[in-house]
Amino acid sequence: MKSAQLKRIFFGVLFLLLTPHLPTHSLPAAAPPDIEEQTRAIAAELRCPVCQNLSVADSPSELAQEMRALVREQLEQGKSPEEIRKFFVSKYGDWVLLAPPAKGFNLLLWLLPAIGALIGLLLVIVVTRRWVKRSSDGRLTTAMEAKAPPAVPRAPEAADVPMDVDSQRDFYRRERERIEAEGKEIEFDFQSGKLSEADYTAMRRRLDSEAAVTGQKLASMPSSPAPAQKRAPEKKPAASGERRPLKTWQLAAGAVFLLLLGLSLGVVLMQATRPRASEQDTITGDFLTGTPGSGGGDALLAQGRAAFEKRDYGQAIEMFKKVLAADPNNPEAHAYMGLMLAQAGHTDGALSAFDRALAADPNFPVALWGKGMLLAQNGGDPREARRLLEKVSTMMPNGPEKSEVEKLIAELGKPAAAGNVAAPAKKPAPPPVAQAAGPAIQGVIDVDTKSKTSVDPQAVLFIIAKSTSGAGPPLAVKRIAAPKFPLNYTIGSEDVMMPGSVFSGKLFISARLDKDGNIATKEPGNLAGEYKKNPVDVGAKKIDFLLEPLK
Amino acid sequence: MALRRLIITLAVIVPLVALLAYGFFRDPRYIPSPLVGRPAPTFSVKLFNGENVNLADLRGKVVFINFWASWCPPCIAEAKELEATWQRLKDQGVVFLGIEIQDTEVNGRAFVDKFGVTYPNGADANGRIAIDYGVWGIPESFFIDPDGRIVYKHVGGIGAEILAAKAAEARERIMTTKEGKGDYQSIR
Repeated sequence: MKSAQLKRIFFGVLFLLLTPHLPTHSLPAAAPPDIEEQTRAIAAELRCPVCQNLSVADSPSELAQEMRALVREQLEQGKSPEEIRKFFVSKYGDWVLLAPPAKGFNLLLWLLPAIGALIGLLLVIVVTRRWVKRSSDGRLTTAMEAKAPPAVPRAPEAADVPMDVDSQRDFYRRERERIEAEGKEIEFDFQSGKLSEADYTAMRRRLDSEAAVTGQKLASMPSSPAPAQKRAPEKKPAASGERRPLKTWQLAAGAVFLLLLGLSLGVVLMQATRPRASEQDTITGDFLTGTPGSGGGDALLAQGRAAFEKRDYGQAIEMFKKVLAADPNNPEAHAYMGLMLAQAGHTDGALSAFDRALAADPNFPVALWGKGMLLAQNGGDPREARRLLEKVSTMMPNGPEKSEVEKLIAELGKPAAAGNVAAPAKKPAPPPVAQAAGPAIQGVIDVDTKSKTSVDPQAVLFIIAKSTSGAGPPLAVKRIAAPKFPLNYTIGSEDVMMPGSVFSGKLFISARLDKDGNIATKEPGNLAGEYKKNPVDVGAKKIDFLLEPLK
Repeated sequence: MALRRLIITLAVIVPLVALLAYGFFRDPRYIPSPLVGRPAPTFSVKLFNGENVNLADLRGKVVFINFWASWCPPCIAEAKELEATWQRLKDQGVVFLGIEIQDTEVNGRAFVDKFGVTYPNGADANGRIAIDYGVWGIPESFFIDPDGRIVYKHVGGIGAEILAAKAAEARERIMTTKEGKGDYQSIR
């Protein structure tokens, strides 16, 4: 009775849970009133080929837009939705349908959820039935129930007793088992103090009388030892099997399984995902796809390198920053960041960037070269510089670049070999750059007549050569303290900011007379000017121009 | 009892794990094309030099169609190699046709100039040719035999060797159902 009730409730709840999930979308759609809606309906059934789990209707991608336009066009031509679907299937295969036809391997897709639900349902039914059966078996499960003893000894009622002898015997055997179990239970409750002595004796008496009745009945029955013995051992393990605690090896195996599952999940997830490098990028890692993602690290690096080569440092920094966001230990990005920092004059920042690159890859040539050059230039640590440059020179192909590095190594070797005496003496001197007397630009700088009188004798003149007209670090800067105008100047490869950059190509020449010698601050009275026909070729002469007050 | 339970547990878990593993080790972006072996969809495209090319007019020749964009790194990577292969194959009855997709014509012309590409190239303005060929990752290349049938498809960078080999096979009308795969970039 209880079981039937439970079943009804159970199925009621199940039905309520399942109804909202009934496939409402499979209901035949009423004829959409206009093309716009029809387009959307068809697009919603198509899978966007360049997205992850987005329909053509929902995707903002360019391809999805084109596909939507094509759907609309075909509808306008009078094609049916089925024809349009078939068209896309003929181009992209069944892949393009969000609900692929239920055949072949796809059948799994349709059947597995149903099978899963069915297995779950069966499991729930089996478990509930077992549970219901156990509690309706008449076994007293709690002491609370046991506390209410019936006034008269409860004997099996006539109606409950089965008719035939075999079943009767079984019935009384079960009765005996029940009485034994109940006896053990009240014994335990009494021992543990849950039951008062009066209650205990009353219950004991009742059970004893019940046991006597059952024993009598059993004794009066014709015995059939063979089947009884057969049945008894059959029942015992089944009954005890239900409550048997898990064995140690089972627990251990479970623990090991969980541990392994967790570990492998962790590893796979780490490998399978990565931070998005850009908005178009996906989080699916190379591990799954076997290819670098769109706009992934390699593409960004290539873009960064290209920007660096074009001296578009803002863009290059942007790209390398993105690479580092996705892969904080990328040696190439760090090395290029270091080159740009060095070029901008941030020696410390550049050194730490090179160090990070070398920490990730101790043999990364750009970082070895950059750090070696920087150390050689600053005269900070000629021995370390030499070590780094020697290392990088072994990796370089033969050519002018290699011989340049080798020349520098030879130069660095001299003070190191002569001991530390020569090194400090060399410090204030201009650094031993490879290109000592390379190509240069020459000309005369003068101050316009009105400002001539107001020129501060302590001011510092900066002559600047840039590869671009806009912002960005200069290629070369010449600093002249207390200049006397008109001033003959030469700016060339010995003035380049970054060791190793080549003073060549078309350059923008300008100059600034700075009162306090700090080019970063602007004071009233500073003068500036630039060559009127910028850019100029390296080697040009008579690049003359005037300095005027800053506006 | 314990053995039965173990068998039941394994019977449930093993197929499930196998199914998941199968799914996890597939490229989720890869779309197998139904086009190989079918007649190539015809189209007409306006080239950068102003001429019009209709695919139907190229019957009897092997046609190599390459979909590309100037913003796609693998396309940049293979541009020079394609041109070099074109120089080798152009007198052997092979026609190269580059279709620029999802890009501007200005960028396309600059790309062609930059890499010295001399074979015919044109822009697919509204993406119809790309959809007709089921393009989803570029560079994407198709080989069409003299009967106008698609005999091979390659997603991603193709390389001179495969290109020359497949062009020779296409001339003999040999079809390869298995698609080639190189370094590719999903289109936008």
